[in-house]
Amino acid sequence: MPSFDTKNFGPIAFETGDTIEFPRGLPGFEERRRFVAIRQERARPLVFLQSLEDAGLCFITAPVLSVDPRFHLKMSKEDREAAGLGAVRRPRIGKDVWALGVIAVRETGPTVNLLAPLVINLRSLRAVQAVMPDSSYSHRHALPEPAEAVC
Amino acid sequence: MMSRRAGETILIGDRIEIVIAHIGRSRVKVGIRAPRDTPVIARELKLVREENRAAAGARPVADWGRLLARLESSPQVSATLSDKGIARQEAAPEN
Repeated sequence: MPSFDTKNFGPIAFETGDTIEFPRGLPGFEERRRFVAIRQERARPLVFLQSLEDAGLCFITAPVLSVDPRFHLKMSKEDREAAGLGAVRRPRIGKDVWALGVIAVRETGPTVNLLAPLVINLRSLRAVQAVMPDSSYSHRHALPEPAEAVC
Repeated sequence: MMSRRAGETILIGDRIEIVIAHIGRSRVKVGIRAPRDTPVIARELKLVREENRAAAGARPVADWGRLLARLESSPQVSATLSDKGIARQEAAPEN
């Protein structure tokens, strides 16, 4: 089983078959193509997307449905093809794909990019950051403060 | 503002040409001729690039605790996640 020494999580072991491949990389990180998803029980529902080419590169993400349960995924033809979903006109979250929103932590509070979710083909683990066409979703969707303190 | 028909062209300076190639019901196809050193991208792509760079600065282990309280833990989502085993492997303990 291959392993990789990460900056944030130390050495991780993973199955080769669990490697997520972004054939075009991610905007701003075009050369970073191979990632693994790391989930920790106590950090649910967060998913950490760790680069296998850069030990220090790890995105904090959350399933878009945990941010907006009514999230509606739309993908351009180009993006569907990049993720090997050319024949799937309307990919369904949970059935055909995983859709993760990238979280940025700012001084003003964390935001999630719902305009361009990471869409992972569940069959092949080919993935693309899909900039959704004609979308009203924000690239900086604020994660609101919890209404009451969580005990 | 400038009004153009399909097939007509706009010039920006001497080196950039924009052709209105096709006008559909809700979309316009635009051809752009620009020098190699002038990047031509959709504005959303620039926003996404900037967001990704900002996100890459997060400290996963240090930041996640603060994030959790802000996410709805929908049982449906959790079920989806546990069924689809993309992230079967668990990270090594931090200590």
